[in-house]
Amino acid sequence: MNTGKLTAILMVWGLLTWNVAEVREAWAVERIEAEETARLLAKLLRVGRLVVDGNQTVIDDPHKGDKGFTPDVFEQQLIDEFRKETNIDLRTLATVPSSIQIPPLAKELLPAFVLASKEVVRDAQVVINQRGIGYKNFIPATYGSQAARRFTDRSHVRLKQTTLQPRNPKNEPDDYEASVLKWLSGRPNAGAYVSELTDKGQTLRVVMPIYYVKDCLKCHGEPKGEQDISGYPKEGALEGDLAGAITVTVPLTAGSR
Amino acid sequence: MGYDNGDSVLTVNRMDSGTGGMIAAPRWVLLCVALAWPPLQGCGLVYDALQYVAPAATDELDAICRRQRVQIGMAVEPFRPFVFPAIWTDEGSRVTGLDVELVRHIVEALSQQCGRPVTPVLHLVRFRDLFLHLSEGRLDLFVSAVPSNVPIRDWAGFAYSIPYFQHGGLSAVTRRPEVLDRIRQRLQARSEMPPKAPAGDEVLAGLAVAVQNGTASQHYAVANLHTSRLVLCDSLPAAFESAESSDAPGIDVILGARPVLEYMIARVKKEWRLLAYGDGKTFFLTRGQYAVVMSEESYRLRWFVNGVIFRLDESGQLERMRARWMDEPYAFPRRAAVEGLPFDVEKMVIQYSQGACRSDRAR
Repeated sequence: MNTGKLTAILMVWGLLTWNVAEVREAWAVERIEAEETARLLAKLLRVGRLVVDGNQTVIDDPHKGDKGFTPDVFEQQLIDEFRKETNIDLRTLATVPSSIQIPPLAKELLPAFVLASKEVVRDAQVVINQRGIGYKNFIPATYGSQAARRFTDRSHVRLKQTTLQPRNPKNEPDDYEASVLKWLSGRPNAGAYVSELTDKGQTLRVVMPIYYVKDCLKCHGEPKGEQDISGYPKEGALEGDLAGAITVTVPLTAGSR
Repeated sequence: MGYDNGDSVLTVNRMDSGTGGMIAAPRWVLLCVALAWPPLQGCGLVYDALQYVAPAATDELDAICRRQRVQIGMAVEPFRPFVFPAIWTDEGSRVTGLDVELVRHIVEALSQQCGRPVTPVLHLVRFRDLFLHLSEGRLDLFVSAVPSNVPIRDWAGFAYSIPYFQHGGLSAVTRRPEVLDRIRQRLQARSEMPPKAPAGDEVLAGLAVAVQNGTASQHYAVANLHTSRLVLCDSLPAAFESAESSDAPGIDVILGARPVLEYMIARVKKEWRLLAYGDGKTFFLTRGQYAVVMSEESYRLRWFVNGVIFRLDESGQLERMRARWMDEPYAFPRRAAVEGLPFDVEKMVIQYSQGACRSDRAR
């Protein structure tokens, strides 16, 4: 075999192996890894909403200018609360002990969501820190919509808040989400989530339900139809009713992107 | 008009005609100039020729079209229902109100005029600074329920559009029944006598009158209320807060723009009352018409804005806007989410505070 032929064969082999490795690295995500990542992402968004809810009194305080609810403070609370729920410390993701299994995809995406969330809180500072203004509409739902959208814009994973009767048309459920929400709405809160392969196994859909707690009912409770503070008719919901869901869509292959 | 909620870029139909300047110069003319270039060199005619066939953009309307942005000022202090407090929505921070709706109409018309989308850049700054920003060229125009017919020295040297809101003017509110009764008695006594001194001074004599610093109400009070004690407030909400506080400097009435006060007492401060005659008719100190404020040299922009307002008026849209914001039941966060405009966060007063009130020691 002459040198020219050998070089050509090596080049073809190199190209082939490089392509296979590239595809595998970029797209081939195991279902188990995708599902755990989706579950953690949904949980992180849910925790972010809880952090905003926990600071609602401060945010809506008309007598205070600087509320001290900075992106850094939000991040700290988000990380602390997430650790309480999952035992995962986002500050030390790279060095987690082997006893805690965190998928590589989650290691990449969880910090990205924290960053998107911090940006939302940063951009809202000018609204949050107005003195003399009470209700500012910086609430779990509006924080969540923005954080999910910013994260989704930069990732191949789609994060979304949805419900059967969305106030924001952009949160309208797609057919799959609507069918799961209908199925969930007839069932009690079991602390579970739905995970399913769609698109002939190319896409993983995870739906994590959110249930109304007492604080939500000021705007979503009874009497049904009465205008809440933001001008939307109340849904007449009761504590424990299904409020909606956080959905995560993860493509498992390049074609399903 | 189609606003893209993400970046507020207006999508409009491109018009056939340009707006003058380089945009309007036909291609064949430019070609002729290019061919004539060598013989004209050095004889000083090149510039003149270019100016003749393709004048450089020389007015503010061309400048707006060229940069595809219009710099618009608005008061950061809420003047409900003209400008509501900035609020967070699913799309980010937004501001809404009657003035914002007017801005949308102006921007839509600008986009049609320019033949390409023009984006509004909203600057939320303190009311008293709007004139300064305009005079420094940082704004093309501003809209904030500014009465165009008030003789104020600080507001001279600016140009005002034709009115977009006819029902302005100054009136006053109080939450004290004894003040309300006293005013009624004074108004009753005055109606039985021939007109003489300015009514405001006579009716409000001896009372503590709160006004927002830098607004028409303050200027009116300084010029006309010689026997009242003036309390200067940084904003209207500060005046309400101060009047309701037990350790306040003692405010009997708040003087302000009638539609704003009407809105406030109907929806927010329901225990307050407009000063009125015995038959319930509102007591006015003056009438006012609100206009868009521009630089005095902005002739073309003024013609343009006047045209927009005229068309809105002729079509009945201005009246619909008034009724929509003044009369209809609504909650502004929802309107902000649906139709609000984003604003330039960098140019908003950081940590806006409604401020406080203090006695006017200059009097």
